[in-house]
Amino acid sequence: MDNEKAIEYLNGLLGRTLRIHATDGRMFVGLFKCTDAERNIILANSFEYRLPTTSAIQEAAAKETESWDKTSETKSATVKVNMTSRLIGLIVIPGHHITKIELE
Amino acid sequence: MLPNNEVRVPPPRAAAQSAVPRDITADFTEASSKLRTGQLVKDETFTLFEAVGALEIMDSKMDSGYIAPGENQAQALEDNYDVRRDLTPKQVVGLMDQLLCHEMAWHMGHPLSQTLFTSIYIDKLLWPVPRTMEDARFDRVPSESPLVSHVLRAYCLALIKSCDFVHARVASEYFYEEEDFVTQLYNRSLLSAFDSSHFYRLLDQAVDWVEVEEGIDQKVRDAIRSRLLLRRDFLASVDQDLEILDTRSTDSFMSCLSHLKALAETVSLGTTVPEAFSLKLQRKLASTVPPRPIVHIKHEDAFAHMKRLCQDAIDLQQILDYRGPSNFKTAVWTLLSRKPQPSVYIRSLLQALIVSDLTILGAVSVKQFLYDDLAELVLPSSILLRANTDEVEVPSDPRFQIAQQMEGFVKRFAQPFVDTVRCACLNRCRIRRTICHTVIDWDNLQMEAEELDLQLQNLSAEPALQFPGGEATFSYPLSSWAYHQKLIQLRLILQMGFELSIYAPEELPGVYWYLSHICSTHLAHLDRIRTFIVAARKRDLVSSSSRAENPAQTSPAFHKSFLYLERLTTHIIAIDAFAIALHALYVLLARHNVLPSASSPEAYSSDRLRYELRMKPFMPISLPELVPYEEYQREATLDGDADTTILDRASKAITEARKAWEATLANGAFSEDVSSPTREPSIAIEEDWRRDIKDTMRACIGASIAIETVKKALLGDSPPSEKKPVNLQVVIPEIGSKTQWHDWWIVPQISENKTANPPTS
Repeated sequence: MDNEKAIEYLNGLLGRTLRIHATDGRMFVGLFKCTDAERNIILANSFEYRLPTTSAIQEAAAKETESWDKTSETKSATVKVNMTSRLIGLIVIPGHHITKIELE
Repeated sequence: MLPNNEVRVPPPRAAAQSAVPRDITADFTEASSKLRTGQLVKDETFTLFEAVGALEIMDSKMDSGYIAPGENQAQALEDNYDVRRDLTPKQVVGLMDQLLCHEMAWHMGHPLSQTLFTSIYIDKLLWPVPRTMEDARFDRVPSESPLVSHVLRAYCLALIKSCDFVHARVASEYFYEEEDFVTQLYNRSLLSAFDSSHFYRLLDQAVDWVEVEEGIDQKVRDAIRSRLLLRRDFLASVDQDLEILDTRSTDSFMSCLSHLKALAETVSLGTTVPEAFSLKLQRKLASTVPPRPIVHIKHEDAFAHMKRLCQDAIDLQQILDYRGPSNFKTAVWTLLSRKPQPSVYIRSLLQALIVSDLTILGAVSVKQFLYDDLAELVLPSSILLRANTDEVEVPSDPRFQIAQQMEGFVKRFAQPFVDTVRCACLNRCRIRRTICHTVIDWDNLQMEAEELDLQLQNLSAEPALQFPGGEATFSYPLSSWAYHQKLIQLRLILQMGFELSIYAPEELPGVYWYLSHICSTHLAHLDRIRTFIVAARKRDLVSSSSRAENPAQTSPAFHKSFLYLERLTTHIIAIDAFAIALHALYVLLARHNVLPSASSPEAYSSDRLRYELRMKPFMPISLPELVPYEEYQREATLDGDADTTILDRASKAITEARKAWEATLANGAFSEDVSSPTREPSIAIEEDWRRDIKDTMRACIGASIAIETVKKALLGDSPPSEKKPVNLQVVIPEIGSKTQWHDWWIVPQISENKTANPPTS
């Protein structure tokens, strides 16, 4: 891939929604706005997603158990917990902190 | 002025909702590695300027979600603080007081993320979003301590609900985001969905529980009780804040004040629980700003802020009785000129009370308000204002046509006129800025009014008035009125400039000259208006006697106008004379090089450039025309006048000013309407007004002393000569300092310079 092709490829991604995983386990989802040779990426209108904490999982599990108690049914225990997310807006993710890039 | 809406937050999207994402890490990495250093691939509309505002992820200063290496993930995100833990009664007192501090800090303009939303208790109540009142609790399993699960919970819930009302009030009026207030809620809701009755019920239950709880020390029990009662009354106050228009009741704000007193006395009983507040909570808030520290304000400051808020809210009741436009305007302006300025909540509430649904104070239509003002100043007992009440429906009848023209006038002028009153509700800097803009609108409005005047004078068959040695001329009532409004605004621009410390010391001679120039223009204008009202009065007497009517019917209207013009004239003469005196004084100080200067002699600035800059708001105004720089320079430096002439001018002017201010004070804040029944007087506001005039009079006395000092130095035993400069030291006091008696009157502190003049033995 030469410089021209690279630009063409990256240009095609502009404005698309990217999911970027960072070294600390968080994921950022936002509109791709800008990048450079260092692979620094700017996302607009982005949301931060974080894996739920252990206590949140426990809480959800407890709730699940409560509802079982009411219906007095027993099910195999897979608890579904949403990733916690929040709006953080315009962000720049330094290239060396990026572990994975996904296109939605 | 446009309403400020909350920052729009797009709805959160579920991560896994769309099609399966495709891993492009390898392609992307390869492509970006082919870019040259410094080369960017970017969206066309995306600017580097915007890029600077992007938050850098994994940077502890920028990224609120950053967790340092080694920090325990769970601990970092969720504080170890146990919201179900037992609290001592003293800790509950401490927590309540800390929460009140945070609430007041928010009222003062700090964001929730740095104040209330740092409380773990508040966070637990709001997240996850409660669906029912039952859901709004600290933990799924309530604490076993009723002090926590009943008392503290009720307190916190009521606190959030009162914030909800305050937020709604402020956000629905004109205010400046981040300057006055931060409306950002970080995607949380302040329990808006729940009816306030729930909160009162919970508070009542908590109070009942506390009252019979034997296990708590009496003093602490009372302290908790008064805090709960304060919450209840404050919630009631902000819940029904507009109802004051109907009830005229300030009871709940009054009882807030008495509880606040109890609070201040018992604040020492509380034990702080600092671990119940955490900056880490910012990691959970939808926020596009970097992490910021918790704001701490002192208890005294929080109590003082709330006390002022309540007191202002109570006194606000005094403006609610409509007693004519000039009294109304004086009351609003005086209340809002209090120092410190009433809080943003009070200013928003006042905006809502002043005008909503085209009604002033919920009682008078804006049209009536406008008509009252016209009648008071330029059109006492005039056909122009009566025409539409005659219900003439013959299109050829001049009265019908007058009514139509006046209808158009109301449509065009009512809003800008009401805005001149409402403008006082903005913060002080914004008032001046807004006037600088609206004065241009008024310049255009005056021209439109002139067009209408021309048509109306035909329709009403107004006879021309012959001035001695001049041409016949007409009254032009509507444009005269508009010009009057504009002159007031021009004067305010200058006077608020003093208050906001805009002018450098070297500019003071010129600005005071300009102030007196505007005042004398205004006085001449009022004279013109008076002449035409006198003529109208004469005509009215003649016509009513010919129709065998009782002139007593129309005479109160004329009497009222003459009285009003008299009051205005006295007031403006007072301002004019004081401005002349200070102008003369500053000219002498500048002439003898003792006036301090903000700019250095080598500065690029010059008098001409400074004049151009200062007079920017005046430049687009067609009437009165901006004084050309050459003329200004001549007049403002009193070019050609000897020192003695100027001293004489200063002394005479200051004497006249003192008399005129005394007369203004004697006239009182409000013009009493003899025809209307006596109403409750606005005692507190009147007191504020009197204090303001008295401060001005104090400044007058200060100025006359300063003038005497200069006189002694210039004309005394050793008059200054070429070799010996004048032996004076001049200090321009800062705004807000004790030696500055009034914000609008900058009186120099002049003393003899002892060090520069060693005593001769």
